[in-house]
Amino acid sequence: MSAPVLDRLDATFAALADPTRRAIVARLAAGDATVNELAQPFDLSLPGISKHLKVLERSGLITRSRQAQFRPCHLERAALDAAVDWIEANRRTWSERFDKLDNHLRALQAPTTGDTDV
Amino acid sequence: MSEQVLHVTRVFEAPRELVFTCMTEPEHLTHFWGPIGVTAPLDQITVDPRPGGAFRTVMVNESDGSTYPTSARYLEVSAPERLSWIEDHSGMTVTATFTDLGDDRTQVDIRQTNVPPQMLDPRAQAGFLTSLDRFAAYLARLSRAER
Repeated sequence: MSAPVLDRLDATFAALADPTRRAIVARLAAGDATVNELAQPFDLSLPGISKHLKVLERSGLITRSRQAQFRPCHLERAALDAAVDWIEANRRTWSERFDKLDNHLRALQAPTTGDTDV
Repeated sequence: MSEQVLHVTRVFEAPRELVFTCMTEPEHLTHFWGPIGVTAPLDQITVDPRPGGAFRTVMVNESDGSTYPTSARYLEVSAPERLSWIEDHSGMTVTATFTDLGDDRTQVDIRQTNVPPQMLDPRAQAGFLTSLDRFAAYLARLSRAER
């Protein structure tokens, strides 16, 4: 994987490292929302929520409309999918590695028959 | 900012020393390091199991011959309990923990973080239960349900 892609993933993971920001992303997965709508369930001040939104915006996970009066926040699926895909690909790699390791360990421990191919 | 990105766990029917040996000797790694459809040729595996030592592999795709070299440095080698390395290109840290479950059974936990585990705040470690990979799995389900 190229360096820019990894840098972008790094920013995405860092943005998602905070539980409030994860909750915001989960809320936006259900649809666009204004800052006021996002602030309500978290018991956060508007400046507090704005700080989190800025981190999410810088990472590319969300965008905010420049035109609309209430500037609703929008989840950028592609950025989220890239992070999710990377995690799932790594999980699959380890899972397949472990399947092979399991076979290897069984072969190593099998009673010697004289023609082991370990 | 640090966060666990991935946690994978598996229980093997083998003593802990043997499982640890398999993860640190090229003669064993070549049998399983490449996932399905990918080989890890023995002559291209470098293992220098000490802090700062090299851990390099080349994975070869069996169908088209494309190669994927990886290069890492060991951060910790504590046989037979723990092994960690940091990948040069991504800065991703992988920690493998080997737990003796008795009766020659061993649990291996792989944890990937984007910073070395020594640098993690203990409070951040306690927060691993809400780790990113669970969130990713949750969102993946959410996305699929919507599409």
